[in-house]
Amino acid sequence: MHDRKFRFGVIVPKVGSATEFTEIARQAEALGYTTLYVPDHFVDHPLAPIPALAAAAAVTTTLRVGPLVLGNDYKHPVVLAREAATIDLLSDGRLELGIGAGWMTADYEKAGMVLDRPGVRIARLAEAIAILKGLFADGPFSFEGEHYQVTELDGQPKPVQRPHPPFVIGGGGPKVLALAAREAQIVGINANLRSGDGNSSDAASSLTSARTDEKLQWLRDAAGSHFDDLEIQTLVGFVHFTDDRAGMADAMAASFGVPPADALLAPVTLVGNESQIVELLETRRERWHMSYTVVPHESMAQLAPIVARLSGT
Amino acid sequence: MTHKFRFGVQVSGLPGENWRDQARQLEDLGYSTLYMPDHFIDTRLAPMPAIAIAAAHTTTLRVGALVFDNDYKHPAILAKEMATIDELTDGRTELGIGAGWMKTDYEALGLPYDSAGVRIARLDEALQVIKGCWADGPFGFEGTHYQITDYDAQPKPVQKPRIPILIGGGGPKVLRLAGREADIIGINPNLRAGAVTADAAASASQAETIKKVGWIREGAGDRFDQIELQIRYFLCAITDDAMGFATAVAPGFDSTPEEVLGSGAALLGTIPEMIDQLLARRESWGVTNIVVGGDNFVDFAPVVAKLAGT
Repeated sequence: MHDRKFRFGVIVPKVGSATEFTEIARQAEALGYTTLYVPDHFVDHPLAPIPALAAAAAVTTTLRVGPLVLGNDYKHPVVLAREAATIDLLSDGRLELGIGAGWMTADYEKAGMVLDRPGVRIARLAEAIAILKGLFADGPFSFEGEHYQVTELDGQPKPVQRPHPPFVIGGGGPKVLALAAREAQIVGINANLRSGDGNSSDAASSLTSARTDEKLQWLRDAAGSHFDDLEIQTLVGFVHFTDDRAGMADAMAASFGVPPADALLAPVTLVGNESQIVELLETRRERWHMSYTVVPHESMAQLAPIVARLSGT
Repeated sequence: MTHKFRFGVQVSGLPGENWRDQARQLEDLGYSTLYMPDHFIDTRLAPMPAIAIAAAHTTTLRVGALVFDNDYKHPAILAKEMATIDELTDGRTELGIGAGWMKTDYEALGLPYDSAGVRIARLDEALQVIKGCWADGPFGFEGTHYQITDYDAQPKPVQKPRIPILIGGGGPKVLRLAGREADIIGINPNLRAGAVTADAAASASQAETIKKVGWIREGAGDRFDQIELQIRYFLCAITDDAMGFATAVAPGFDSTPEEVLGSGAALLGTIPEMIDQLLARRESWGVTNIVVGGDNFVDFAPVVAKLAGT
């Protein structure tokens, strides 16, 4: 059973230099963040996650590292398994393996990949997860799927974390959340990205409190009693320290198309002064079990007192 | 123009070895580059994260794969990953890439093993995609195997005009392609059989090596002098009885001892003999980028100390 204690991660999509990246990783570790995440997109997200995470692990000692999340369609799962296990091995077991079905239309268009409908992408992700877990397990592995076939391959290296590094799967729709309930140890509660555009009104309107209740219900229905084992994560895109929380809430409400109270609670924002942000995090944990919060690395120093206060409680 | 000698080591990262210490040792011994193979059978670490880690633990060592198999990964992803390492190492990468050849890998992954011609054509397209990703601004590409639309890939490499591209091969198609496209060219045995066989050994003979340099020259035209030629010495042994050694191994390669000694895949002898041989081969073949394996890079270090940078 998961203890639901607070912990925090940072997400780093780009840096200006090698030195800056090393500094961010070391600072995150020093400030008490448990994890450094790197996203995986072709557009607007310059760092490629696998080598960047490897480098972050090399310059730190306890910081966990992970992609948030890999687009499964971008890489063959056998290739990914070997790369993930290599990071886990060379970091002494510090990988969190975030993986998703892929959703960003622009990625697929730019790179000339076929964007199948969500059902197909999710089915392919389910096969890929089976392959990853099979190659992480001891001995040779074969798999006969609709999308992938693997023949008698003993995946090398094996990860240090047994039976496998924790999987992070995020989503905002019932199918992905059901898959997450079955396969992941950490579940991200996200906007619904069926539109293929993270800034769409469809994605934003899926962030109301009622819709978040619904997502948690889908997850709970799919997980059954296993729900208590899952760590629930949110990815915050907008952090704003202010003493005029009501004013910001109105502005966000207009831009998301949701009521002001919902805009504040929406698990993609952290708005208010220090004690108000603490209260928001506590409310989200109480109502939605969200104990693992990932923030943009630009905000990590500012949020550090909150991280120090809540981590491990 | 004669290139200066530099040396690399191809290492897999085997159990019991400390990856960080190994990378630092290579750097301390004067090797220029750490290369990793890219296979799924009988190798261990995945090259992309492992070279990123090796680079993070060193300060001047260059890193790369020898070589990435183009068929395992979309070239836009390969380009992005290599550019990321280039950014995070202030420009210490080399992109080794090949058309793919090891049949057992393809079987394990469930990937179709296309004819050599198709794999090479796909590599050719991949090189255009990779170069497009690394160049300034957005680009498009309409190929048979890859299509790219208005894509401004990020990050751009630190090295300009690009990360050096290393292509190895043993046949005329690949070597002409390499001559046209690559900055470093590996002269390899011909692996058309899909495995290392007597056919591969015979294809590394002295006469065949000269032929291979000719194919590279055909592909390269005017830019031949800018290209650095490389040999990965699969058979590299420090011995004071090179003939005895060659006699012992010759039957395994279906060759005579003399053929083994002259082979472009073999470097046998005492340290001074090896130095003389490398100097002679620079004269005759133009090969200056020398790669040895993880099993003998320590013993070989005196050669590096003598020749590197000269």
